[in-house]
Amino acid sequence: MAYYLMLFAAGFAGSFHCVGMCGGFACALGRDPGGRGATVLRHLLYNAGRLTTYCFLGALAGAFGQVICTRQGSNVPLLGDSIDFAERILAVVAGLLMICMALQFFRRLRVFHRLAIGFAASAFAVALRSLLRARSRAAPLAFGVFNGFLPCPLVYAFVAEAASSFRPLVGVLTMASFGLGTFPAMLMMGGVGQILTPAWRRRGVTFAGGCILALGLITLSRGIVPMAVHAPPAWAGGHAG
Amino acid sequence: MSAHDESLCSHCFLSLGRRPMRHTVNGASCAFCCYGCCIAFQVKSGKREEWDAAWILIRLGVGGFLSMNIMLFSILLYTGAFSGADANVLPRIELLLWVLATPALVILGGPFLVETWFNAIRGRLTSSALIVVGVGAAYVYSALAVVEQSPRVYFDTATMVLMLFTVGRYLEAVGRARAARDLEPLLAAESECATVVDGGAATRRPVREIDADTLVRVRPGERIPVDGLVLEGESWTDEAVITGESRHVGKGVGSSVVAGSINLDGPLLIRSSGPGTATRWAQICRSVRDALSRRGPTQRLADRVVAVAVPLVLVLSVLTVLFWAHRLPFDRALLVGLAVLVVACPCAVGLAAPLATSIGIGRLAQCGCLVREPGALEALARTRALAFDKTGTLTSGKARVVSIETEGVEADEALARAAGLERHSEHGLARAIESAAAARGLEPVATREVRVVPGRGIRGSADGEMVAAGNRVFMGDLGWSSTLSLSARARSREATGHSVVYLGWGGQVRAVLSLDDLPFPEARSTIEALRDRRLNVALLTGDLVQAAQRIAVAIGIDDIEAGLSPEGKRAALDRLRRDYEVVAMVGDGLNDGLVLAEADVGIAVGSATDLARETAAIVLPRSGLWMLPWVVDMARAVRRTIFTNLMWAFGYNIIALGLAAQGALQPILAAAAMAGSSVLVVVNSLRLARLPDPSPPLPRRSTPETSGQGVLPILGPVIEPS
Repeated sequence: MAYYLMLFAAGFAGSFHCVGMCGGFACALGRDPGGRGATVLRHLLYNAGRLTTYCFLGALAGAFGQVICTRQGSNVPLLGDSIDFAERILAVVAGLLMICMALQFFRRLRVFHRLAIGFAASAFAVALRSLLRARSRAAPLAFGVFNGFLPCPLVYAFVAEAASSFRPLVGVLTMASFGLGTFPAMLMMGGVGQILTPAWRRRGVTFAGGCILALGLITLSRGIVPMAVHAPPAWAGGHAG
Repeated sequence: MSAHDESLCSHCFLSLGRRPMRHTVNGASCAFCCYGCCIAFQVKSGKREEWDAAWILIRLGVGGFLSMNIMLFSILLYTGAFSGADANVLPRIELLLWVLATPALVILGGPFLVETWFNAIRGRLTSSALIVVGVGAAYVYSALAVVEQSPRVYFDTATMVLMLFTVGRYLEAVGRARAARDLEPLLAAESECATVVDGGAATRRPVREIDADTLVRVRPGERIPVDGLVLEGESWTDEAVITGESRHVGKGVGSSVVAGSINLDGPLLIRSSGPGTATRWAQICRSVRDALSRRGPTQRLADRVVAVAVPLVLVLSVLTVLFWAHRLPFDRALLVGLAVLVVACPCAVGLAAPLATSIGIGRLAQCGCLVREPGALEALARTRALAFDKTGTLTSGKARVVSIETEGVEADEALARAAGLERHSEHGLARAIESAAAARGLEPVATREVRVVPGRGIRGSADGEMVAAGNRVFMGDLGWSSTLSLSARARSREATGHSVVYLGWGGQVRAVLSLDDLPFPEARSTIEALRDRRLNVALLTGDLVQAAQRIAVAIGIDDIEAGLSPEGKRAALDRLRRDYEVVAMVGDGLNDGLVLAEADVGIAVGSATDLARETAAIVLPRSGLWMLPWVVDMARAVRRTIFTNLMWAFGYNIIALGLAAQGALQPILAAAAMAGSSVLVVVNSLRLARLPDPSPPLPRRSTPETSGQGVLPILGPVIEPS
């Protein structure tokens, strides 16, 4: 449980980044003319869309990890005394990825700028723009779903963490904790976004970077230090698959 | 904030770090801390609405929400997260999947079902029928499985297949919108509004409601909606859409402006010279719309193939299911059949040719080249021979004075006297003589009592003696003689195809003016560029053999047929066609309309203003001969793209079909492959938009506005090709 609490905290801290990047969307969604209830519903739908995408990515990443670390023909991930080589490699790669992301938050490294370029990116931007202007009640949900796919170092970092869990369920829970962590700030957007100065947001982002760095180091150590392999499943509350 | 603008991300206002990402949004250069912010900023601040299909997106988003939830639980099911102690929740999870899948099926599958239905009642079977049948089977089977509490459900497959196909459709729409972007200024003529000034009030009215003599105000940055004259204001305009000139043209009070050009920097008040629907811009708009609504020959062929393929695939998938049902459990056999249906769906085929063609038409239109028939581009790409008309196409069609032969007098004196006389004539050669004098700064000698003798020449009196200009017969009528040397030179001029004007005064022929139609300066380089593209070039003209030969040598054409009547040109085209199969004819569109219509591709250069009567399939702007090699390049690129697109689309289908029939391809992977093939086709077609623009030859010709009657600046030594 402590593991998920830490993820939640990292998500919460990281949401200071979200406030800058995605908070604008929450503001743009704004108030519903249908009253307070409708406004709350609209923002809940938006965030539910986002959360679903995160969980989906988490499940995919977890399943990916499991596929890589499963012996052929068997559905049971290898645990116990023989540590699968692929599992270690995955943990190292995921750990390094997370550390890279964390460094990016500290403005030390920028390699992920051009992960998606050209056609896809601008099409995506246009797509989101037309959704923001749409009047439909379902538009915020759709917008949230797409918003979740926006290239974001924070999300990538947690997806890497989810992949290194080798279990889809843990992957889903990882992303869910992170996603729920971003809820408070995103729900309160509109107010908070203008109260928080860039300097404070800067500190929040640095803190989020710290959390991700710590998670990355733990994941990396799972690949390098044999004894650390079982730590996350224990935190996960016994979902050992 | 502004002091820190340089160092802060344009979107989230966090500091940029050492290597910020730079991107131009709406013309302003912005810096971003990360790629996500860059996209987010474009979302928030982009102005251009590329298409209004937000509803597809909402459908996609809500469908994505449902199908991602389904997928998420299915992944957990497949990986055994609910095995062991949690096994009793399995039926509830399956029920949940059913509950989620039903709306997803309605939302995502609705459009496919509607399409299938409307085509089915017209007796057609389209590719969406394949999707409907496949997904419907998976859904019904899974619903029955839930009722019977059987362990395997395939709601995830059904929704994911729909989801991926919807994504493919959406990307197609994006590609189409991209393709239409270059065409937008051309197609805007029908929807554009103009600010009409009536008394003191300004109202917005659609262009089609504007008549002649209406006052229209055009702000900077707006498109000029009507042809007309400037009453107030000064500005630069960009007429590229109409004339292909990327140069900016200055306009002031009294200048005429062309509908469709962009008013760049100053407000203008314009009095329209005709109705808004009669402008060249509006004609271009109608013509482009027509061209886009037609299908080229390749696409028609592809359509026929698809029409045959769809029922075949249905049969094949049924056979696949029957085949595998003997060897595998029924649900697995059904999945193989579904994979076959999905992977054989020829979605990208329908996109292969139209997308490439419309991007090509758009690119050409940007430079003022109009394609009136989509098939023309494909035909031009296959063309191996180009036949040129001479007058007006390779030459300006306007006579210029190329030499003055004199006997005992100065050339300038002769020209001044000739100009004084020819001022009173309406003859085409007279204009050329006048402007030749003007170009040399000569004052025409005042001439009175002028009389035109039809078919002979003109005479009058200047300084008390009779002056006459005309042909040899006219001089004979007057009884005027010339020296042997002068008449010999005159005859040799006539023999080489020049128009010759005899000039005399005081009872004697004193000078002989030769006039000729000169080739455009860019003609030679254009012909060379076409040769470099392995095209055979021929000259078909109604002119005299000698004149045609001189021009042909000057611009480097070997294959000449001269003295042809319009029927003769058609026969010559047929002969060329026997040798080269596909032949394009390039003419000026004025007097060779029949021949242009007869050729496989008719290309008009600088044609008449009335597009409706135009017979050429491709119309280049006035003085746009130099663009011809580029147009050929573009046509070839379009054809190549269409072929690679079709190869991708069909090749992909055939290979994947084989895999699917063997049961080696999961339906979801098959759907992803199909969406991938759509993306490939779109991306491959969009590469056309990145081809370089044509580079104008140096030196450029003077613009149509300043070039009046042509005149050779130096009259002394004649440029006489040997």
